[in-house]
Amino acid sequence: MPETKNPIIKLDCISKKYGGYGIVVNALDSVSLEIYPGEFVSIIGPSGCGKSTLLHCMGLLDKPSLGQVYIDGKDTSKISGKEIALFRGEKLGFVFQNYNLIPRLTVLENVILPGLIMQKDAAKLEKKAKILLKEVGILHRSDHRGIHLSGGEQQRVAIARALINDPVLVLADEPTGALDSDSSKEIMDVLVKINKKRNVTSVFVSHDPLIASYGRRTIVLKDGKIVGDTEGKSKNFNKVLKNLSNASEGGGRGS
Amino acid sequence: MHQKVADVGVSSRLALGELKEHKRIYAVIIIVIALTMTSFMLENAYLNYMMQVVDDTTKIVTSDAVVVDEDSNIRDLYGTTVELKNAGEIAGRIESSLPGYKTSIRVTAQGTYGLGTLGEAVDACTIQGINPEKDNEISGIANRIVKGRFFNDDDPILRGHTPLYIEIEGPGNLPDFTWGSSEKLVGNEEPYPVIAGAAAAKIHPSVDVGKTLTITLSVSGRETSYASVDVKIIGLYESGTPLLDALIWFMHADSLREIKRYGEVTGNDWSIPGVGTFHGYNPITIDRDRGDIIIVKAPEPLHQLDPIGHSRYVKDEVSSIVPFLKVYSWHDFLIYAAGSMQDVVTIMLWGSIAVTLFLCGAAIKYVMDSIIMRKTREIGSLKAFGARDRMIFKIFLYQGLIIGLIAGFLGIILSVVVMNLVNWYGLSVEFIAGTQLKVGFIINWLTLLIALLLPVTLSVIAAAIPAKKAAMLSPVEALRKGELSL
Repeated sequence: MPETKNPIIKLDCISKKYGGYGIVVNALDSVSLEIYPGEFVSIIGPSGCGKSTLLHCMGLLDKPSLGQVYIDGKDTSKISGKEIALFRGEKLGFVFQNYNLIPRLTVLENVILPGLIMQKDAAKLEKKAKILLKEVGILHRSDHRGIHLSGGEQQRVAIARALINDPVLVLADEPTGALDSDSSKEIMDVLVKINKKRNVTSVFVSHDPLIASYGRRTIVLKDGKIVGDTEGKSKNFNKVLKNLSNASEGGGRGS
Repeated sequence: MHQKVADVGVSSRLALGELKEHKRIYAVIIIVIALTMTSFMLENAYLNYMMQVVDDTTKIVTSDAVVVDEDSNIRDLYGTTVELKNAGEIAGRIESSLPGYKTSIRVTAQGTYGLGTLGEAVDACTIQGINPEKDNEISGIANRIVKGRFFNDDDPILRGHTPLYIEIEGPGNLPDFTWGSSEKLVGNEEPYPVIAGAAAAKIHPSVDVGKTLTITLSVSGRETSYASVDVKIIGLYESGTPLLDALIWFMHADSLREIKRYGEVTGNDWSIPGVGTFHGYNPITIDRDRGDIIIVKAPEPLHQLDPIGHSRYVKDEVSSIVPFLKVYSWHDFLIYAAGSMQDVVTIMLWGSIAVTLFLCGAAIKYVMDSIIMRKTREIGSLKAFGARDRMIFKIFLYQGLIIGLIAGFLGIILSVVVMNLVNWYGLSVEFIAGTQLKVGFIINWLTLLIALLLPVTLSVIAAAIPAKKAAMLSPVEALRKGELSL
């Protein structure tokens, strides 16, 4: 880990509890984590281990019950409720498992949408969207509607959309969760390529060890705690993979 | 400010997209609202037209209110009312008790003219005896003269004696109208001057400025008393409703007092057993305090948005001064002239409009609720991309606004089309005294405003409830629910 740089995102001892009817579930339990510029991080763990909750807290979509989330050096707990949306739009890009393209919009319009929400110039956005669509290999379908595309194609569009506002961090929640193995590989290749070419810090969540192995750094979650944090495919990682394969047998698509 | 403008742009684009996606269900709602507003517009425009007709015509007779004897009814105002006792004293009391109110005593009689001798039809008219000065101030009759002139001081208003008239006892024994008609004038007397309706002149060759004709007048409200008099037409007036103004003619009230023997009468009458009683050529000194009706004009209301309410207010005011007499307001005339069911129909129409609009509002709310349920993940995504709650709220609110605007405009356009079709076809309905009234419409700004604002307000309120719900969704919950709903 390049310790000399300031982290893009820093989680300081965050916990997330869900509760009701006398039952309290600790989805995250005192998780501390720093992710540095340019990193390509996978988060892996069995179903229900808190992967998605962690990603939601990192993406300011959910508030931790305890602890602080710093993004780009800013303590996000001090941002007002109204401004958090603006901050999210400016700093973060999201890729969802089910792509979440707006079906009635064309591919190009879908990519531009987050930029329009952030009140950016439409003409400039269009130009930039075309470059991004070319990078993810789907420019030839820019006038098609999202619903007319295959799953892999839709996810490429979603990646381009996540990059339109030049985010400091891209968060992908099970980006290959709804894809077959060939498409999954293609999508991961696109994410790797984008990370390398644009040096965009990326964090993705997966329950699939093979997909998680694309990460240059892998964080392993279990019962809401980080139980592993490794660089590349170390010896440790192979062991983790084996354990997880056993743990996630018959597991769902996401957590 | 810039953020707000951007919000409007993105929200309205997304709102339009939503509307397109659900165009079928929204089209049904829009059509139902539009048709409801069409019926509202037609009813209102027709009511406005009728009010205008009544305003133009019956206000000549009634002004804002009219006081009659308790034995008279509203129908008698188009014929002959029972004499109002102490008319002068009552008129004075109203003026002194209600500051700003003006009154005039009128005398009424119903006449027939055109004796068939020239192959003409026999026509009827109601003669209203007016006080030219006061009545013109109250009803503006002189301004409605289209040919000839109004009364002036040189007119032969009085003869100094009553005309010849007969009283036939008992119904079914109709008088012979030729009786006495050759003895209507004594010596070189001038006929009484009258102002006739311009429409009467168009349909009857005997009626025109400068012509003299014999009119047989029914001079008593409840008895069969007929007087035969010669009149000279000095002017023609137009009220606005051609076939209605033919009915009401004007004579000087003093002339009619003389004809109706309202004063101190001396001399003899003749009675023939089995036929009736002959009155005539009796010297008379008329009494200007005697009359049949009192027309009342109230001070101008502060606003004209609620003429019916104002009319009822005036009626109540006058009734409080003369509780023992009948008071008819201009609105009572509206009901009488435009059909007594008018108010009931209006209330029923408003009721059905309210129910339909409520159901449409509920439909908008529930359609949007179900759309939001299905689009939860989309809403979550927009929030993840930086959309504020306000923007999400606007996406759904704008849909309501657009639905309301389209429905409102469509309703207005449809009603204008229907009005033009009715005008082109020339639809007529039966009006008072057997006359035909062309169906017409008057659209005023208030009706237009309501026809547009009512559906817009309704659909915006209906949309605001689910819009608020969508705006308040937490992004993570929205994204999770979306996944669960797959």
